[in-house]
Amino acid sequence: MTALTRRQRRALTLAMRYLIAVAVTLLFLFPVYWLFMISFKTPEEIFHVPPLWLPGQIQFNNYWVLFKDGDVVAILNSLIVAGTSSVIAMVLGTFCAYSLARFNTGGENLAMWIISQRMIPPMAVVFPIFLIYVHFGMVDTFSGLILLYTAFNLPYVIWMMRGYIADIPLELEESALVDGCTRWQVIWKVVFPMARSGLMATAVFTFVFAWNDFLFALILTRTEVITFPVQLTHYMGGQSNFWAKIAAMSVLGTLPIFVAVTIMQRYLVRGISLGAVKG
Amino acid sequence: MSTDTYGHRLSVFSDRNFKYLMVAPGILILLLVGIFPLIYSLVVSFQNITMTDVDTSFQGLLNYKQLFRDARLWQALGHTALITAIALPLELVLGFLLAQLFLERMPGRQIFVALLVLPTVLSPIVAGATWRLMFDVRFGPIGQIVSYFAGEPVTLLWTVNPSLVYPAIIICEVWQWTPFMFLLLLAALSNVDQSQLEAAELDGASYWRVLRQIIMPAIKPVVAIAVLIRGLDLFRIFDIIWALTEGGPGSMTETISLYTYVIGFTQFDTSYTAAVAFLVVALLSVIVTLVLRRMELVK
Amino acid sequence: MHALKGIDLTIADGEFAVFVGPSGCGKSTLLRTIAGLEDVDAGEIAIGGGVVNDMRPRDRNIAMVFQNYALYPYLTVFENIAFGLRARKFADSEISKRVGDAASMLGITALLDRFPRQLSGGQRQRVAIGRAIVRQAQLFLFDEPLSNLDAKLRDEMRSEIKRLHKNIATTMIYVTHDQVEAMTLADRIVLLRDGRIEQQGSPLDLFERPATGFVAGFLGSPTINLIPAVMDVRGNSVAVRLTSGEMLELPADKVQSAAGSNGKKVILGIRPQHLTRAGRAALPKGQIRVKAVADLIQPTGTRTYVTSRIGDVAVTAELGAHDVHEQGATLDYAVDMNRCVLIDPQTDKVL
Repeated sequence: MTALTRRQRRALTLAMRYLIAVAVTLLFLFPVYWLFMISFKTPEEIFHVPPLWLPGQIQFNNYWVLFKDGDVVAILNSLIVAGTSSVIAMVLGTFCAYSLARFNTGGENLAMWIISQRMIPPMAVVFPIFLIYVHFGMVDTFSGLILLYTAFNLPYVIWMMRGYIADIPLELEESALVDGCTRWQVIWKVVFPMARSGLMATAVFTFVFAWNDFLFALILTRTEVITFPVQLTHYMGGQSNFWAKIAAMSVLGTLPIFVAVTIMQRYLVRGISLGAVKG
Repeated sequence: MSTDTYGHRLSVFSDRNFKYLMVAPGILILLLVGIFPLIYSLVVSFQNITMTDVDTSFQGLLNYKQLFRDARLWQALGHTALITAIALPLELVLGFLLAQLFLERMPGRQIFVALLVLPTVLSPIVAGATWRLMFDVRFGPIGQIVSYFAGEPVTLLWTVNPSLVYPAIIICEVWQWTPFMFLLLLAALSNVDQSQLEAAELDGASYWRVLRQIIMPAIKPVVAIAVLIRGLDLFRIFDIIWALTEGGPGSMTETISLYTYVIGFTQFDTSYTAAVAFLVVALLSVIVTLVLRRMELVK
Repeated sequence: MHALKGIDLTIADGEFAVFVGPSGCGKSTLLRTIAGLEDVDAGEIAIGGGVVNDMRPRDRNIAMVFQNYALYPYLTVFENIAFGLRARKFADSEISKRVGDAASMLGITALLDRFPRQLSGGQRQRVAIGRAIVRQAQLFLFDEPLSNLDAKLRDEMRSEIKRLHKNIATTMIYVTHDQVEAMTLADRIVLLRDGRIEQQGSPLDLFERPATGFVAGFLGSPTINLIPAVMDVRGNSVAVRLTSGEMLELPADKVQSAAGSNGKKVILGIRPQHLTRAGRAALPKGQIRVKAVADLIQPTGTRTYVTSRIGDVAVTAELGAHDVHEQGATLDYAVDMNRCVLIDPQTDKVL
């Protein structure tokens, strides 16, 4: 075998990498593809044995049923709950983070405590929270769920934003202060714009966490505030046409997330890194 | 000039009350939802509230003693440990391999990464539902693919067959969270000092030597955090199992979270549930503290 | 867009070659191409007689010292130095011997058990050099190794490297942007600009006989003075006329191809060292007397730099420490035309 030049070797390696990359991506996305396809299939096609790889034609009946039966309200509920709690968590959390980053409020102890809050297993607190909520009549209310998600996202927001804010050079703020800005103005005009990418990434992740939560939604809602994941489990029980609903609802419920994440893709890596690389 | 522990310079104009004002609302909510329930739970665990009885008198360690006699509880912990022990290394290794694949520049890498992230951002319920569809014995593609390779029709009841349920859960879990490890490791590997790698290349070091002595130590902090976070998440695993098997068959795939749900929300054994919850918190705290202490030593 | 264009270079065995030039000129790229860390689009690289284009860096038998030292943080100094030997499966006894020898040559034997983070910049640099020399490679590459050190340390290490070259007599290629390092260390200087070799040769060659204005301006501190002028050829006498009117006659040996260049625009290059105080006595052949006002006087202790306006341009002269005058005084300069260079403003070539 003749020896290859370096350039040839390099080209070959790149080609192989592409091949493997495509194969791996297809493998990972296949289940999603399958789900997608089922959402377009008719019941006969879904239950065809052996399974069909492509639907005969793309029909939206399964989606239509969801709208007709009003199940789509679950998506709306999720939007309201996840959206509101994310906004509140971001606002409160970022201010907290600023205080921690710039003034070291509460020292290392407070920071440690906040981080430890994230490590609390939800299962350990869901029960007492349930009891408390029952006591105050907050079960199956929007505000109850929003409060909960806000609380559970706060540690994450504080942890992430603290890092991002600390990365902003102090000089920028100090020069603004010297120029006569109040602290609020400094935060609004200097810190927020500079931390924009961090804010975006953290906001997206906060939203995703709240959107995808199942446990709390299951326990703390009944009929008024059904969120998307809970609605989805209502279709499970082994009945046939429910598969179609599961698929369609899954796609509907994943779309907002997918859109948000794709737009924020640039900031994604830092968000998922959870500050690990920096810290 | 004062600095915090990370060496960041602190603001000198520390407006006295302002900084407390800023943290107040956040801390308040955290206390309400984080600490308060725990205390409440602790109190309840010393009482004797069950489905039938509401006895709020102090019962001492009644519920805690029961913990040790409860076989199902320890089975649940065992199941949880099993899943964690298998899924975590798998996710780590696969994530590492993926990161290596995409490490060097390649046109279009952004697109691949964006697509691969998808499983991680799905709701775990959706992930579980998806794989339930995939595994379905009659019309799921997995059965067909396996039959094709086996040469004959094979019936696999993934969600019912005791020897298949765990593989099913682990496949679904690894599928969903490997991209998370992948992204983390990609970032960490990208941050390894290029010139060290070049120096090693000139020194003639084999790939394994470079991996062992240069790359691994460099990414250890990130790996540690990843293991901690994923480890904790795996310990609390609930959604995926609910969607795939609901803890079945029987209680074969019942993890600790599922068990807590069962005794808390179907049997309404309030006080006992509180005791179990506390056991879990205590266990986790110990593990986390140990791990963090080891990490500090490493740093 | 290529980083390097048309490089044709030969370095003799045992020579100390320095690649020097402004940022972005391609000197590091050239070095890394020789090392094999960058790919070559066209052309050949041969080391020790063999073409190495397709060889991986590890097979080229070369050693390299990096700008940021590139030490392995989780290995001791001993293991750092021994790394390459271990990778090539040398016997432990041989490793100990070689590392010991290198360490004592560099004066770091006491540091062998430490970790890189415990060392100072200079010590780290020595370890990096140690790692390079234990392999007894046929070629040593240095990529701006002293840039990260402070000035005093840099001087020290420079001498060390020069001494090293004397001791182990291997071919060395050294990249720097500092012309002082280039001048003091090199047997051969390769001055690069925009990916091309501007000029190569011995340090003195480049200093005294620059091929272009760029070379003249790059080497030498303070920078050479450049004065726009016009050629004035009348019969046998050739002179340059400055914009301010002075006529400076050129000595005969500078005047090879002056014919037909009357009126041609040139740039006169005079190094500050060649502008001296003119006494009352007649000036030696080739030196012209020019009067100018001392605008700026900068004493350094050993010399004084005096800036004046000659030919409508600020010109710096390097005078003795005690030649200090008041600002504004009119001085008599002796311009040594024997040592000047004439540069064609359009081609930048020296005439």
